[in-house]
Amino acid sequence: MRSFQHINVFTLEEAVSVLKDSGGKAQVIAGGTDIIGVLKEQILPDYPEILLNIKAIPDLDYIKKDHEGLRIGPLAKLAGLAKSPAVREKYGALAQAARSVGSPQIRNMATIGGNLCQETRCWYYRYPHSIGGRLLCLRKGSGSCLAVNGDNRYHALFDARRCFAACPSDVAVALLLLGAEINILGIGGKRTVYLQDFFHPLGNALEPGEIIGGIHIPTPPVGAKQQFLKFTLRKPIDFAVVSAAALIVLDGGICTEARIALGAVAPGPRRFPEAENFLKGKRLETNVLEKAAGIALEGAKPLSKNGYKIEIAKTLISRALSACLENESFNH
Amino acid sequence: MNKENRFIGKKVPRKDAADLVRGKAQFIDDLKIPGMLHAKILRSPHAHARIKKIDTTRAKELPGVEAVLTYEDTPVWRAGLPSHIGVLSNTVRYVGDAAALVAAVSDVVAREALELIEVEYEILPAVYDVLEALEEDAPQLYEQFPGNRFPLACPWMGPESLQGIFMGDVAKGFAESDIIAEGSCSYENLPNPLPLEPPGVIACWEGPEDLTVWASAQSPYFLKITLHYAMGRINVRSIASHCGGSFGTKVLLWQLAFYAAALAQATRQPVKMYYTKTEHFAAYTLRLGSRFRGKVGIKKDGRVMAVEGDWLINTGYCSDAAQGMVAVGCGELQLMVRCLNWEIKPQLVCTNRNASKMVRGYGGQELEAAFIPVLNMALEKGNIDPLDFFRENFVKPGDGYYWRDGNWWVSRGIDYGKAMDRGAEVFGWKEKWKGWLRPTAVDGSLRIGVGIGVHGNADVGEDVSEAYVRLEPDSTVVIHSCLSEHGTGQRSSLCKMVAEVLKLPIERISVAPPDSLVNPYEFGPVGSRGTYAIGSAVIRAAEDARRRLLERSATVLNVSADDLDTEDGMIFIKGKGGGKSGKKIRWKDGLGFDRTCLGHGYFEPDFSISNFLMVFVEVGVDTKTGKIDLRRVVAATDVGKIIDSQSLKNQLHGCLGSAGLDSAIFEESVFDPKLGRFLNPNMLDYKWRTFMELPQFDTVILETPMDTHSFQSVGVGEIVNAPTPPAVLMAVSNAIGVRLADYPLTPDKILRALGKA
Amino acid sequence: MSEHPVTLVVNNRRYDLEVGGRPGDLQPTHTLSYTLRETLGLTGTKIGCDKGECGACTVLLEGEPVLSCLILTVECHGKKITTIEGLEDPQTGKLDPIQQSFIDSGAFQCGFCTPGMIMSVKALFAGNPSPTGQEIREALSGHYCRCMSHYHVLEAVAGSVPKAGGTDE
Ligand SMILES: Cc1cc2nc3c(=O)[nH]c(=O)nc-3n(C[C@H](O)[C@H](O)[C@H](O)COP(=O)(O)OP(=O)(O)OC[C@H]3O[C@@H](n4cnc5c(N)ncnc54)[C@H](O)[C@@H]3O)c2cc1C
Ligand code: SF4
Ligand code: FES
Ligand code: FES
Repeated sequence: MRSFQHINVFTLEEAVSVLKDSGGKAQVIAGGTDIIGVLKEQILPDYPEILLNIKAIPDLDYIKKDHEGLRIGPLAKLAGLAKSPAVREKYGALAQAARSVGSPQIRNMATIGGNLCQETRCWYYRYPHSIGGRLLCLRKGSGSCLAVNGDNRYHALFDARRCFAACPSDVAVALLLLGAEINILGIGGKRTVYLQDFFHPLGNALEPGEIIGGIHIPTPPVGAKQQFLKFTLRKPIDFAVVSAAALIVLDGGICTEARIALGAVAPGPRRFPEAENFLKGKRLETNVLEKAAGIALEGAKPLSKNGYKIEIAKTLISRALSACLENESFNH
Repeated sequence: MNKENRFIGKKVPRKDAADLVRGKAQFIDDLKIPGMLHAKILRSPHAHARIKKIDTTRAKELPGVEAVLTYEDTPVWRAGLPSHIGVLSNTVRYVGDAAALVAAVSDVVAREALELIEVEYEILPAVYDVLEALEEDAPQLYEQFPGNRFPLACPWMGPESLQGIFMGDVAKGFAESDIIAEGSCSYENLPNPLPLEPPGVIACWEGPEDLTVWASAQSPYFLKITLHYAMGRINVRSIASHCGGSFGTKVLLWQLAFYAAALAQATRQPVKMYYTKTEHFAAYTLRLGSRFRGKVGIKKDGRVMAVEGDWLINTGYCSDAAQGMVAVGCGELQLMVRCLNWEIKPQLVCTNRNASKMVRGYGGQELEAAFIPVLNMALEKGNIDPLDFFRENFVKPGDGYYWRDGNWWVSRGIDYGKAMDRGAEVFGWKEKWKGWLRPTAVDGSLRIGVGIGVHGNADVGEDVSEAYVRLEPDSTVVIHSCLSEHGTGQRSSLCKMVAEVLKLPIERISVAPPDSLVNPYEFGPVGSRGTYAIGSAVIRAAEDARRRLLERSATVLNVSADDLDTEDGMIFIKGKGGGKSGKKIRWKDGLGFDRTCLGHGYFEPDFSISNFLMVFVEVGVDTKTGKIDLRRVVAATDVGKIIDSQSLKNQLHGCLGSAGLDSAIFEESVFDPKLGRFLNPNMLDYKWRTFMELPQFDTVILETPMDTHSFQSVGVGEIVNAPTPPAVLMAVSNAIGVRLADYPLTPDKILRALGKA
Repeated sequence: MSEHPVTLVVNNRRYDLEVGGRPGDLQPTHTLSYTLRETLGLTGTKIGCDKGECGACTVLLEGEPVLSCLILTVECHGKKITTIEGLEDPQTGKLDPIQQSFIDSGAFQCGFCTPGMIMSVKALFAGNPSPTGQEIREALSGHYCRCMSHYHVLEAVAGSVPKAGGTDE
C-alpha cells in the first residue's frame, strides 16, 4: 500500500474533528475489510493521507435492547450481530443478513458501520490499477458509466440513472426492512436519517466529515415473522446477485402488515409499497405471494444483461414470504 | 505376480507432511536471498499499441529504485512457440502486457516507481474474437504470423508432430452413416487454473554466463532447458521451492524468469519477480479458447463413421505450448471416439488478450468440451445411451491412433469397460438415465439430471526421465530425480517405490533437493507421467544400484551376486542355508565404509498405453433461479496398481478445482470487448467452489495390472478434470429438457433457456 | 506525531516494534501478514490473494480467526496473536492434534492452503468442541483450496474433534 498516516481516535467527537481538520484527506477505518482492499488495488484516483482508526474508541460495539427497540454501535461486528440473542429473537432478518456476509473471518472483522459505507462492487469501478490502470467512470467523477453499455449482469434494475451500480450491502436490506434509523455525527452535531434515505445514487448521505455514530431499530410489530434470503452464484463467500427480506404479521390468517425489501437491485436497498399493500388484508396463498412478487418487479428496468435478476428477485420474494409463513428458512 | 508389498498401496504419510502442517515448507515467497530486490511491471492500458516514447528518468531517480528497463535496454532473449516473445517489446499486445520493469529495494518503492514512468502509445486496432482475427482485414498481431495464425508444428514433440486428425475417407463415412449431426459449440469462457500460490521466480547471476533461478516450478529441470535455449545458451541452475499448486501453469516459467533475470543482470543483485493474485488473474495463464464447428456421422448402433470439423483455438497474444496441446488434444479425441474417417482441422489463432498456456487437461479438455456437445446431438437423434456409446468407443487394446509425435501407435493398454461398468453401478446410471433431454426426477421447481464424460491420455509414458539412486554405507538412500513437490505427493511415491525395490524402511530414503545441479534430466511431473515415466526411471536406478551393491558384496562374501539379496540394510545369501537367519553383512561391509554406490535409470517415451477416467455427474437445477446444484460425482478409473490411495483420491477430487468441472457451472474470465479488459481478476468475482457446496463424491478405482513397470501402474493427474465440463452440460440439458451448449451455465443462461429471461 | 512502539504477543512471545520510517521499522501501511512474514520471519502464514478472498492468511487474533492480510499491524497493539508456528508444543515439538490429523488424513496436496485452514479449525474447536459437519464446513467456508483437498480436510477435522458427538443436521 502507498503510505498514509495512521491515527487512533478515542471519542467520536475527536474523530469528527480530525476528519474536519484534514480537509477531506482523512478516511475512517473500521474493520478494514473493505477499505484495505480498495487501497491495495488503488481503484480510486484519490488516496487518503490519513487513516483514522475508530476502533480505538471504547464501547462502540454495543448491541442493546431498550424500550424503543434495538441500538447498535457502529463498531458492532457482523459475527456478533449474527450470534446475538437479542438480534436473533426479534430482528431475525438482521441476524440472517449479517451471517450471510463473506466468510467467518470477514464477519469477525467487519463492522456494521463499514458494511453500510462500503464502496460499490461494480467491476468497472473496482478494476485494479495494476493491470493497465484504474478505470474512471461517472461515479468516480470522470467520464460516463462503463457498465450501462458493458457487462452489467450484476447491476441495478431500479432507480439508477447515471450510475447503475447496485448496493452491495446485505445488512442494509434487513435494516431497511426493519425501519432502521442511522445516527450521524458531524461537526454541526447529530442528525438522524432513515435507512431508505441513506443511500444515494452515487454514494450515501454522509457529508464530508460525518460518520455513523449508531443505528436504531424500532421494535418490530408484535407477531411479526421475518426472513432474509440471498441468492449468490455459489454459496459463501459471495456477494448477492439479489437478496430479499420480508416481514409479515398475520391476524387470523389475514395479512395485516407486510414489508418487502430487495438488495442488489438498486443504488440502495428498496421497499415495494404496491406489492406490500397488495398483500394486506389477504390470505397469503401461494398465488397471492407470486402475484405480489410480480407486482414488485413491475417497474424493473433491466439493462442488456441483467434481466435474469427479475426472475430471481420474484422467486426470492415469494420464497421469503412463504418462509415467513412457515417460519423456517430456505437456503435461497 | 508381486508378493505382498510393504509400501506400495499402503498409507504412508508424505515426507513433507509435517513441514506443511507446521508452516515450515518453503514456498518461493518464503525464500530470502541476501541482497534480493523486488520487481514490478508497468502494464499496458491498451490491448494493442506501439510505444512511441517511454521516459523512465523520474522513476530512476526515486530513492530505492535500482533499475528501470524498457524494450530499449533489455537483453535479446526469446521464447514462445515458434519463438516470438522477448523480454519486452515496443509493441504491447494485451491490456496488462509488460511495458517496463522496475527493480527496487521493496515492493512499495517498486510500485511507486511505476507511477513515475511516462509512456506515449500509438494505439493500434485490436482483435479478440477467433473468427474476426482470421478475417482478411483483421488487425495483425505479428508480422511473422500472417492472418494471426500460428504454425501448428511442435518441434519438441518430433518433426512430424500431430497437426490435426486426417485419415480414411470422411465423405464415404458420412455416406455410410445412419445419423448425421452438425453444429458448433464454444468453450471460450477461459477459466483460470488459479493455483492458490501465485507464480514466482528469483534470479541471481553467478557470472556473466551463469544464472541461478529459484522458482515455484512444477518442472525445475525443464525450466533450466527452456531458459538455456531462450537466453542464448547460458548455463542455468534451476532450483524449485515447494510449489503451491500448478496444474501445468508453473511448468513454463520463462516469462517471469526473463523479467527477474533481466533486472538481476542490470542491478547485479538477486531479483524476485512474484506476481500478485491480480496479475495471476490478468497476466498469467488461461485455458485455451476452443470452438468446434463440424459434423459427426454414426450408425444406429453407435459406431462412429466419420468426424469432420474445424477446431478454432484462441491462444491470446502468444503461444508457448498451444501447439503441443493441439497435438495431444487431437490424440485424445481418437482415444475417446473410435472412428476410421477423420478430418479435424485445427487453427491456432492469436488475439489481443492475455495468453492461454499450458494447463492440466492439455488440449483434450478444450477440444472435447466443444466437440462432445456436437457428438451428443447425434446420440440424441439416435437415442443412444452415452454410457453404451463410450463403452463401445473408448480405445481398446489393439486399437490404433495417431499420437502427438504424428506416429501411429497401437494400444497395449487394458480394456476399461470393467471400470466403466463399476462406475455406472456405483452411480446408479441405469436407474438415473431417462433418455436425452429427460430429467431423472422433478420435484416442484427442482429438476434433476445426469451426465457422463470420459477421457484418456496416452501421455502416461511421455517424454524422458532420468534418475540416480545413491546407496550410502549406513544403508540410507538418496534419490536424485529433479522433481519438485507441487501437490501430487510424487516425491514421496518415489520413496515408496525405492523402498520396495531395496526392501528398506521408508524412513531411510530421501529425495535430493529439486535442483538441476545435483540431479539428472527430468522432464517433470507433467501430464500423468509421474507414476509410469518418472517411476520407471527411479525404479530402474534403484535396481541398478541394488545390482551394483550385490556385485560388490559378492566379492566380500565369495559367492555369486545372483545368490544375494538385501533387506532392511542387510545382505544375505538367498535360499536354503542362507536367508535372513543365515550369514549376513551390512551394506557398509559390502560397500566399504568410505564408498557409496550409484545406480542410473532412464525412461524413453512410450505412447502405447493410455489412462482412463469416466465421470458421472448428477445436478439439480432450480428452474426458478437458474441455479445449478452439483449433487453427486462419481469418478471411475483403473490405475493398474494404487501407489498411494490418499494422493490418488485427492487428485481425483481435483476435478472440482483447477478450471475443471466448474468451468461448466460458474467459472469464467469475464471479458469486456469494448475495453479489451477482463472484469473479474479477483477471487470474489471469479467464482470457485467452497466447502459449503461439496457434492457427494465417490471414487471407483480398479487395479488391473498394466504392462508399465514392476508396479504395473499408471497415473491420472492430467485427466481428472478433462471429461467433466461436457458431462455437466449433458446433465443440465437433461434436467431442464433444453439442449445447452454455452459454458458456463450461469443462472442467466439457464433462465433464458427456460424462456424466463 | 509521536509514535509509541507497537507491542504484539505472537505465539506467547512478546515483540516491541518501533514505528517509523527506518528500514526494519513498522510502518502504518504494514499488514499483519506482512509483519509476521517479513519482520518476524514467521512465514508459515501464507498469502494467496492479499485481499480477504482466500483465507490463506488466517491467524488467530485474541483467539478469533481473522485475515491477516486485511489488518494493519499498528492496530494490533497489545493483542495476542497465534500463527501456525504457535500450535506445536514449543518444548517437545509435539504437534497439535489437528496438525497430526491433517497428516494422518493426507489433508493437503500442495499444502499452501493448509496453515490457514488449520487456524480456522483451531478456533472452531476452541469455541465448539463438538461441532457438527455443517458447522465444520461453515468454519472453512472462506478457505480456497484449488487442489480440492476438501474431502480429506473434512476427514481430518472430523478425526480431531475434541469431543465427538456432534451430529449432522
Ligand atoms: C471477501 C469479502 C467478502 C465480502 N462479502 C460481503 C457480503 O457478502 N456482503 C456484504 O454486505 N459485504 C461483503 N463484503 C464487504 C465488506 O467488507 C463488509 O461487509 C464489511 O462490513 C465492511 O465493514 P468494515 O468494518 O470492514 O469496513 P471498513 O473497510 O473499515 O470501511 C469501509 C468503508 O466504510 C467507512 N466507514 C466505516 N465505518 C464507518 C463509520 N462508522 N462511519 C462512516 N464511515 C465508516 C470507511 O471509511 C470505508 O470507506 C465482503 C468483503 C470481502 C473482502
Ligand atoms: S455502474 Fe456506476 S460505478 Fe459502475 S461503471 Fe457505471 S458509473 Fe461507474
Ligand atoms: S491472503 Fe488474506 S485472505 Fe487471501
Ligand atoms: S492443497 Fe493446494 S490449495 Fe489446498
